[in-house]
Amino acid sequence: MATRRRKTPPGDPRPAKPARGPDVPPEKPARGRDVSPDKPARSPDVPPDKPARSRKLQLEFVSEAEEILERMRDDLSTLAEASASGREAAPAVVNQLFRSAHSLKGLSGMFEMAPLAELAHHLEDVLDRFRLGRSTLGKQGLVLLDESVALATASLEKVGREEPDPSLSEAIADLVGRIAAWSTEPAAAAAAPAPGVPEHLLRALTEYEESRLRESLRRGRGLALIDVEFPIASFEESLGQLNRALHDLGEVISTLPSSAASQEAGIRFELLVASELAPAALAERLGLDAAAVRSATTPAPPVETATAPADAAHPSEADAGTLKSLSNTVRVDIRKLDELLNLVGELARERSALGALAEQLARQPETARAAADLDKIRRTLDRKAQALQAGVLDVRMVPLRQVFDKLARVVRRLRIDLGKDVELQIQGADTELDKLIVEDLVDPLVHLVRNAFDHAIEPAAERRAAGKTERGVIRLEASQRGNDVAVSVTDDGRGIDPEAVRRRAVERGVIAKDDVLTRKELFALLFGAGFSTRDEVSATSGRGVGLDVVRENVSALGGIVDVDSTLGEGTRVTLTLPITLAIVQALLVTAGGQRFAIPLGGVRETLAVGPGELQQSAGRELLNLRGDALPVCRLVEAFALAPVDATQKQFAVVLGIGDVRVALLVDGLDGQQDAVIKPVQGPVPNVRGVAGATELGDGSTLLVLDVSALVEDSTRRRETR
Amino acid sequence: MSTAGFERWDRLARAAATAREGGDEAPRVELLQIEVAGAPYALPIERVREIVRLRPITPMPRVPELVLGVISLRGEVVQVLELARRLGAGGRAPAPGSRIVVLHGEEGPVVGLLVDAVTEVLRLPEDELREPHGDAADCVRAICRRGSRFVSVLDPDSVIQRVAA
Repeated sequence: MATRRRKTPPGDPRPAKPARGPDVPPEKPARGRDVSPDKPARSPDVPPDKPARSRKLQLEFVSEAEEILERMRDDLSTLAEASASGREAAPAVVNQLFRSAHSLKGLSGMFEMAPLAELAHHLEDVLDRFRLGRSTLGKQGLVLLDESVALATASLEKVGREEPDPSLSEAIADLVGRIAAWSTEPAAAAAAPAPGVPEHLLRALTEYEESRLRESLRRGRGLALIDVEFPIASFEESLGQLNRALHDLGEVISTLPSSAASQEAGIRFELLVASELAPAALAERLGLDAAAVRSATTPAPPVETATAPADAAHPSEADAGTLKSLSNTVRVDIRKLDELLNLVGELARERSALGALAEQLARQPETARAAADLDKIRRTLDRKAQALQAGVLDVRMVPLRQVFDKLARVVRRLRIDLGKDVELQIQGADTELDKLIVEDLVDPLVHLVRNAFDHAIEPAAERRAAGKTERGVIRLEASQRGNDVAVSVTDDGRGIDPEAVRRRAVERGVIAKDDVLTRKELFALLFGAGFSTRDEVSATSGRGVGLDVVRENVSALGGIVDVDSTLGEGTRVTLTLPITLAIVQALLVTAGGQRFAIPLGGVRETLAVGPGELQQSAGRELLNLRGDALPVCRLVEAFALAPVDATQKQFAVVLGIGDVRVALLVDGLDGQQDAVIKPVQGPVPNVRGVAGATELGDGSTLLVLDVSALVEDSTRRRETR
Repeated sequence: MSTAGFERWDRLARAAATAREGGDEAPRVELLQIEVAGAPYALPIERVREIVRLRPITPMPRVPELVLGVISLRGEVVQVLELARRLGAGGRAPAPGSRIVVLHGEEGPVVGLLVDAVTEVLRLPEDELREPHGDAADCVRAICRRGSRFVSVLDPDSVIQRVAA
């Protein structure tokens, strides 16, 4: 459960506070670890009486329903992929969808969510008919299912936030109407009798099994009957093993207990299996006696199967194992992890206090020995604390797959809506990032993908004329690079014309006519405020959100956006992000008599700089670093700090994000430390260039520099201000 | 239970206790009296989270002058305002008795106010609070008389509001 309840420890007079105060805008809503990121839960600000309890129940309902819907979304994706490539929908997936709809119906009914229950009821109905082969889903069915899940998610979100929205109930009613209208249309494939299957077998099958049988025959698979006997004590396990072995070889259509004579304490089964393998080959692969497997399309001795109960094997039981393994995760409110990290941070301070004590004891001969022991313990404690910290951080990490799956759905939707043939290729979905970053990455990535789909990929005719394949390609790639993760969206569309960007920028007064900008600098202008090279706004990508918002969002995460494009060949937008925001290795520096922390992920190198090593060029101060001219940012100037003696030696901290580098000039370097970055609370919490603050082991508070903001401000001075 | 919920109940309980003790007296208010630039002020006590001793304040760049900087409070980083400057008295060197009064974040941001001293907790009937004079600072909500002195009761929200602007 992702609620914000918290206990005040006894003896702690101050009321409990969440680690992130509620005043930090925009506050991250409480979220379970594997909950889809678009459904925030809200703090139940109610007294601890009945309303609170029912509110708690309600949140529990929301979280459970979210889980179901998430699973349905995944299954729908799988179905859509299968349908797009002309493959048969995997029966296990259809069954799971059916069961999900069924659970959702039950759950919504229990919590008196009538519209949702009604919707789920219709979904269940449609899925049941599809599962039984009584109707086909087709494109329209998939779209309706997609829409239903999206709508159910939206209405849950409202429940979670306690913002009842009658328009959603109306939308659900409307959708239910459309589903009903669609599902009463005559089914495409009328049930035809299965040819060549013995009558007595057909009689023993449930409707679902029969439809599977028909489908298998239609696909040209053979039918085999496997006759096995197991001891009663262990038959469940043995049958399970057999089912698993068969999973790769074919499909078990029905498992029929057999009444044929068996040994004492034994139980016999007949498994009706559809497979592309001949009975003999099946027997060999399963390690069974050849006589135990025979073809079912030739008449079999009638008595054994005819008496089998019709509902002997319901599909839901066959997959019970899968459902079980799904629940092997724990959902945790991410703020609980923040709290844990806080504690780990405090542990670090105790550690240094222990160190100080050990030193003190070591000075006196009579306690020197104890001091050595104490120091040993401190070091062990150190190691364990570090492992603990790494463990907590690891728990926060989630694979980007969550976001990529969402993007795949977006592309699928766009394909239908826009009728454009675009393929989405995905690479590196296992790359892990901090949960909070992953969530905030959804919007920028959706925007980039929509943009590529809508604007970058040309219509088929234009592509053909340009000698490209008609099918456009969008590639999503993620990879870890040291302390950063790079996520890129690449398309093979029309590309960006740097000259067009330049003309537009001059028109808008963003740059002067004779400004010299590199290609990359020109492309970067696209992400400035209100800059668009297309005037018309299409429904797809024009939701009032421009590329400038992408940059802002990414920048808020301490990341940076980088564009590269070749006219006529395509565009690649790369987002470079830190792996986590929670805790970082930091370089401590001093400037103007104050200490600051710089996340080490943004630091490339440090070097001492003599006064003569800086150059002036066109009003910019530059540092020549092995032939490269880096823009210089003096921290003392940027932060209006009291300058120290100018004749002193200075140090350059080379900051880099992606392949953009800047030399930050500071007065001194002061070593490295782990830093838990905290948001600043107060009337002026957000200051450009400051990512937050951190408390060091010695109790002092240091500001943590926002590397991406400093790098941007030093490299993009020409942008709109 | 959420903090807001806790407080609501806490307040209710206190109100009930007051009613029992005071019978039919006017409702009482509780104020924390502080000293700023030689004058007495007061803050509604329910908005006060804690009072901490003066500690090193880390300056912040690019903020209005009256934001002195930040301090750490058990894992939280909180900005500290110079209340004297906010009340138009100009900056003052912190004295040994200086305290930081930390306000709750429920209705506004969590924030620390640097004051010269914390004097006492006042409990007085609500009807002793008077309209402030016209020339009082903008964030003074009411005044009350304590012996020969007039105490200005501050409205925490307006103390904070003007800062960001």
